[in-house]
Amino acid sequence: MKKCFWALLLAAPLWLAGCASENHAIPGLTGDILLDGPKAIAVGPPRDKVLWQYRTAAGALHAGNYPMAKSYLDDALASIGGIYGKDATAKQARGYFHGEEKKTFIGEPYERVMAYYYRGILYWMDGEPDNARACFRSGQIEDSSAVDQYSSDYILLDYLDGLASIKTGGDGTEALNRVIKQTTPYPKPPAYEPQANTLFFIEFGQGPLKFATGRYEEELRFRTPPSRIKSAVLRVEDKAIALGPYDDLAYQATTRGGRVMDHILANKAVFKSTTSVVGDAALVSGALVAATERNTTGLAVGLGLMAAGLTSKIISASTTPAADIRCWDNLPHYLTFSAVSLAPGPHTATVEFRDEFGNVLADLTKTINLNVAATPRDTVVYVSDRSLTPQNR
Amino acid sequence: MLHQYRSWLLAVAAAGLFTGCASNGVHNPGGVGVTEMRPDERGFVAGTGVESQDLVAVTDKMARGILGVAQISQAQGTPRVVLDPVKNETRFPINKDIFLTRIRAQLNEKAAGKVLFLARDRMAALERERDLKVSGQVTANSDPHVVEFKGADFFLTGTLQGLTTKTSAGTSDYILYAFQLIDARTSDIIWESSAEIKKQGLEDAAYR
Repeated sequence: MKKCFWALLLAAPLWLAGCASENHAIPGLTGDILLDGPKAIAVGPPRDKVLWQYRTAAGALHAGNYPMAKSYLDDALASIGGIYGKDATAKQARGYFHGEEKKTFIGEPYERVMAYYYRGILYWMDGEPDNARACFRSGQIEDSSAVDQYSSDYILLDYLDGLASIKTGGDGTEALNRVIKQTTPYPKPPAYEPQANTLFFIEFGQGPLKFATGRYEEELRFRTPPSRIKSAVLRVEDKAIALGPYDDLAYQATTRGGRVMDHILANKAVFKSTTSVVGDAALVSGALVAATERNTTGLAVGLGLMAAGLTSKIISASTTPAADIRCWDNLPHYLTFSAVSLAPGPHTATVEFRDEFGNVLADLTKTINLNVAATPRDTVVYVSDRSLTPQNR
Repeated sequence: MLHQYRSWLLAVAAAGLFTGCASNGVHNPGGVGVTEMRPDERGFVAGTGVESQDLVAVTDKMARGILGVAQISQAQGTPRVVLDPVKNETRFPINKDIFLTRIRAQLNEKAAGKVLFLARDRMAALERERDLKVSGQVTANSDPHVVEFKGADFFLTGTLQGLTTKTSAGTSDYILYAFQLIDARTSDIIWESSAEIKKQGLEDAAYR
């Protein structure tokens, strides 16, 4: 009985450790998001579904598979839009004994904004600029929880809101005025050209990645690998349009301000630390009492203190304050845009990406063969430095 | 005495053990079976955007309103209506046709021929059929050279506009659904009605 008791007491931390570190690695991933994404969505943890939908949608955009991107983005946006109220996984994530990654992933605001931005591009591609505008507006709302001066401060979302209003017979002045008032480290887009019928949505660089710092990795941080691409040049017909970034996702990710969850994780970290210190103190004092006292009562008190200390250590070990670092990892660093007026018929456009010295990164140049329709509907082109080339639109 | 302490310690250790594991459970691990719901009732999956119960409430109201318009209910002939796409100025991407489709269906069901809708969205197919008749490739029961496509007496259209507020207290979305019946000859707005829906929600603190 005595041996059994001690064995159980010693096994308990290992058992709890097993509970705390569930491994949900998806076997057989290839590194090709268009293969891995659908597989992860099908067999991976449901809480990561939106994450894989985001990643797969971006991969599909790069590959020019727009129907696939639409399908995944629609599912993901339905999840974002229906997140109100009680959520069992979110409640778990707030608890002491589960990590933040237990919650259903919907991403940080910059990730949610990008889901809306991409869906907006695809709506415009389908000749629905009003639904595109709806997405851009929802994107700005997603960013509105940032601290005041950085709230709803995506330049392109406001700019495109105004352009879509003009395209649908409305007035884009109000949206353009918002662009003018925004503070940004980059030059702002030009005044609207209502007759421009071909829209180029261009992006480049590696977007922000998440990591955690702090004693228990309870602090969410972002790092953005330096991009060798700093600008782009769009060449179509006799035009050469230099394009710098209008929006910077690294800037957006790091100007979000504090999260409520950061306070919860900080409290968890304090609890973990306190229970560990209390456990240490109880174990040491219990051991001392048990070793020095010769009578039965003293031994019992010592053992009791040790048991309480061990329990406290177990609780400390089971407390999981780690921040959620699941990340939409195939986002770009910079977003830019150009609207061009082209005659109906076939055209070939190229997008050159340039480094900080203005040198063309020839291996990244993209060619787009596009056919501009004679209808009022805009021709929409999406180009990333990761896009396949040539692209036929 | 020692035995009593052991029992107590065992109980504490077991409690700690189960505290660690118990909340690993998944809500509704067996899933939730398909639940058939009426389109006009609020489901257990809800957002602050346009949902089926809004669509039903708004289009029912509009269809009733149109039937009460004197130019429709007391018209000499049967007025012809063309649907002009709804303008979506909200922050919610929607299938805009769905509002007019439901209003049309409601009126066709309930108006008993007091109003007819012209299938302008099918004009390409209709013109192709007429051309086949004109060229003699298919038979015709009337002279295909005579234009019989009807012109519109009225246009039915609408606008969806929204206001959104998002603060730490939650998200609030107000949507104004406004529909109009426009006289195609004079551009008079002969009828207009609106419906307003406001929704608020707050996500779990884990997402804020």
